Amino acid sequence: MAKILDFFRKIKKIAHRDELSSASAEELRNAFKARYHNFQLLLSANNKTLELMSEMEQALHGNQPFGMSFIRANCTAISVNVFRIIKNLDQLAPNKYKDLYERFRIIQEQINLVLSKKKQTQGEHLILPFSMVDKNLADQVGSKMANVGEVKNQLELRVPEGFVITSLGYERFFAHNDLQSEIDRRLQASEVEQLDQLYALSADIQQLIIRSTVPEDLETAIKEAYRALEKVSGAGCKVSMRSSALGEDAAGTSFAGQYRSQLNVSADNLIEAYKEIVASKYSLQAISYRLNRGILDEDVAMCVGCMVMVNAVAGGVTYSRNPLNIRDDSIFINSVWGLPKSVVDGSVASDLFVVSREEPLTIVRRDIKVKEHKFVCYPEEGVCRMDVTGDSHTRASLEDHQVMELADMALKLEEYYGGPQDIEWAVDPNGDIFVLQCRPLIQSEGTDKRFQTLDRLVVDGKVLLEGGATASPGVASGPVFVVTRNSDTLQFPRGAVLVIPQALPRAAALLNRAVAVITEQGSVAGHLANVAREFGVPAIFGIPHVTELLKSGDIVTVDADGLRVYEDRVESLLTKAQPKKNLMEGSQVYDILQEVMTWINPLHLLDPDSLDFKAKNCRTYHDITRFSHEKSVKEMFNFGSEHHFSERASKQLVCDVPMLWWVINLDDGFKEDVEGKFVQLDNIMSIPMLALWEGIVAVPWEGPPPVDAKGFMSVLLEATANPALDPSMPSPYANRNYFMVSKNFCSLSSRFGFHFCTIETLVGDRPNENYVSFQLKGGAADFQRRLRRASFVGSILEEFGFRAEIKEDGVFSRLEGYDQEYMKEKLKIVGYLIMHTRQLDMIMSNDASYHHHRAKLMNDIQTVVIGSPPEPSSGVHAE
Amino acid sequence: MNDFNVMLVDDEGEFLDTLVKRLKKRNLNALGVRSGEEALTTLKNNPVDVVVLDVKMPGMDGIETLKQIKKLCPLVEVIMLTGHANMEVAIEGMELGAFDYLMKPMEIDELLYKLQDAFKKKQLHESKIDSVEEELGPKR
Repeated sequence: MAKILDFFRKIKKIAHRDELSSASAEELRNAFKARYHNFQLLLSANNKTLELMSEMEQALHGNQPFGMSFIRANCTAISVNVFRIIKNLDQLAPNKYKDLYERFRIIQEQINLVLSKKKQTQGEHLILPFSMVDKNLADQVGSKMANVGEVKNQLELRVPEGFVITSLGYERFFAHNDLQSEIDRRLQASEVEQLDQLYALSADIQQLIIRSTVPEDLETAIKEAYRALEKVSGAGCKVSMRSSALGEDAAGTSFAGQYRSQLNVSADNLIEAYKEIVASKYSLQAISYRLNRGILDEDVAMCVGCMVMVNAVAGGVTYSRNPLNIRDDSIFINSVWGLPKSVVDGSVASDLFVVSREEPLTIVRRDIKVKEHKFVCYPEEGVCRMDVTGDSHTRASLEDHQVMELADMALKLEEYYGGPQDIEWAVDPNGDIFVLQCRPLIQSEGTDKRFQTLDRLVVDGKVLLEGGATASPGVASGPVFVVTRNSDTLQFPRGAVLVIPQALPRAAALLNRAVAVITEQGSVAGHLANVAREFGVPAIFGIPHVTELLKSGDIVTVDADGLRVYEDRVESLLTKAQPKKNLMEGSQVYDILQEVMTWINPLHLLDPDSLDFKAKNCRTYHDITRFSHEKSVKEMFNFGSEHHFSERASKQLVCDVPMLWWVINLDDGFKEDVEGKFVQLDNIMSIPMLALWEGIVAVPWEGPPPVDAKGFMSVLLEATANPALDPSMPSPYANRNYFMVSKNFCSLSSRFGFHFCTIETLVGDRPNENYVSFQLKGGAADFQRRLRRASFVGSILEEFGFRAEIKEDGVFSRLEGYDQEYMKEKLKIVGYLIMHTRQLDMIMSNDASYHHHRAKLMNDIQTVVIGSPPEPSSGVHAE
Repeated sequence: MNDFNVMLVDDEGEFLDTLVKRLKKRNLNALGVRSGEEALTTLKNNPVDVVVLDVKMPGMDGIETLKQIKKLCPLVEVIMLTGHANMEVAIEGMELGAFDYLMKPMEIDELLYKLQDAFKKKQLHESKIDSVEEELGPKR
């Protein structure tokens, strides 16, 4: 290594010699080549950095979900590229800008700090029995089990015995198998936007978890806790095992019921069931849910509650208020025969009892459904679906006194928690009611108001279908997509109306893509309905045969409030629809990105001529990027002019455009090397320079536009007030136009009087590296007129596909990622614009003149510049 | 443009084999090895211009391998390629002289461009050294 450094020192010495032997001319040529390569690498890192920055910025403003792996990968990539910029600049100008390394380290540390904020695991128990659990232990047992403990111990309602495998237990399990880093790796490697990839990823991760081993101490603790249960509830008692995740209550989310539960588990399968439930943290719908809600993956510790199984005769879910209407305080009780499972997953129609809470409590509505199936426990293990026999399938699944007892229970829980509750319960063979879980209920705004106005409103659309129940309010339109098989879900297009036979929970994974949902069956109390409401996706459940009546591709409008499906788009309805909310905003992941961005994106070093434009003043990655880019161009330029090396000195371009143009050949920009002071256009090989030049000479410049007296005064005043604008001031670029070129690269720094413009472009065989960056700044007239000129030029550039940003009197525009021919066409336009927009600022006070000039410019571009390209040599002749 | 030698180091066999195959299809002399230790042995006996190095491997990890490669053959360029986005490790690698730090998944063409850039850098390095050696001639 030392040997190499030594070589470099010698090269430097040689490079600074003025008189060159032929051998050292070769060295200098090599030195130029190496410098140019460094410069290229710097520019490519610079472009990558800008691209990453805009991607991260977009994530903050768009509606696409993103996770921690997105943030981590982007922060890493952007740090690497900023480092590369600094390193390449340091090679161009050794030690001159070494402050940048220090600035970089400070910024990077700050970003790292934001990224590594980690939740501390609470508690020291792998297992906690229900008797020890209350709401204060939510961060050890998850909110679901904390509630179960609270209900059992504080409210003294009937709850089965059980225990919780805690978050510490979960972390032991993960750490023992080093699962988190492997999962992070897999998350990073997948395109989570692609449903099929997400699906494969989900299956992979779940398999990974299920194949892992539970550490011995945890296994022993689980088995001991189970033996303690056996002592109370009888040897060989079966248990239910339910997820109770941490970290999901933050944003008022309704996901808790979503992970896998295992019912009627025997002693032999405790460990397997535990792993399967933990694995369900990575079910398709759970991954996409976290993504959409910006929930941190590592914050979600899966605790598992283990509860003695109630061999239910009937079961269901109580809502202490109407979930669909915030103004309705009646108690809603959904009930089925057997286990409550089928209410939750929406697989069987359930009885509905509505109880008015006014004293005395009265049942105001009984909606008894035909219940063809029920779920019951097998004696050994597991549950099975059975046909409901005899007259029970038409009979109410609850006695009136049980309905009243449930209503009473709901009121008690609501009072205790101080808000509406969602309660799952079961009735055992003795008729005793057990609470199985309880959580806050999220109510929808309700539909009363719209209903009333709508009844009177004549909707000008053709009604295709009518009926069902509102599972989530709202109106939306899109093409139908019928999902009848699981594999159909992978093809589900963004923006479609999901039409599906059953409201199965796994369909929740599609809700960030669907604009509306229609099902044949399913309960508005089920999970899918919950998530639809949370995501603001209108949903109608229970339109019979809808999967046959609608065809994929039909455009329909779904009015979930009016319970109607219309043909085509019905604008009068859609104008009333609420815009879909950005679910990411306010989430942890969103906040982290926002915080990280404060160290990346804001640009403080705007003016290269300012005294503050220094390495030590860089406060963000953007500052470093901007600073380094400016300096690298300068270093490249200076190196050429500092060495008396004729090949690489600047040459005057021979042409008949009445301005001085200088060209520096960085590498392979000339057909052959030229001695002397001039270069002919036909000796230029630079693809982007030639394209620019075509635009420059496409239409002869007519001279400055006629200026009214006011415009002229404005120019005079500005010139006297701002000596820095004096064109006679010495400056390396003063009133001259410099091209730095290679075959695929061209940078033009140009100053026409008070107008500054910079073009930098790479046009080669790698489309994803091609770019044009064009900046125009300044002007001679007053600030208002300069501003208008900036927006004038910006608007024309945008018309041709550039991204243009106006900052003060400057236009900053970019275009990238296209093939050579496309880039060349855009460069012609830019060439044309730099010739024909200078001095336009003087006439920018006048609207008529603004529009006149815009029309003329657009016409020139369409007809001459890109319409019929002139011969490459037109307008130019050799001297 | 693709006439140079690339060694890929990754413990994930399937990924390694696919990548070697795809680079070979693009006329690159690519060979794959499964560990840092193997990489160092191979480096001693084979011409290698650019190394693509996984960061997380059992045994000698990527950072340690990078250090050893730079000690053994300072002119060989090393591109880190990893599935684990870790900013600190990335910067450590860059400070140790890695050419770049890339993350999976990676477009094959993008990787190819990086390889070409890295190889060009190595060539320019070498021609500098050659001409200095020529200049210094008999003194060395």
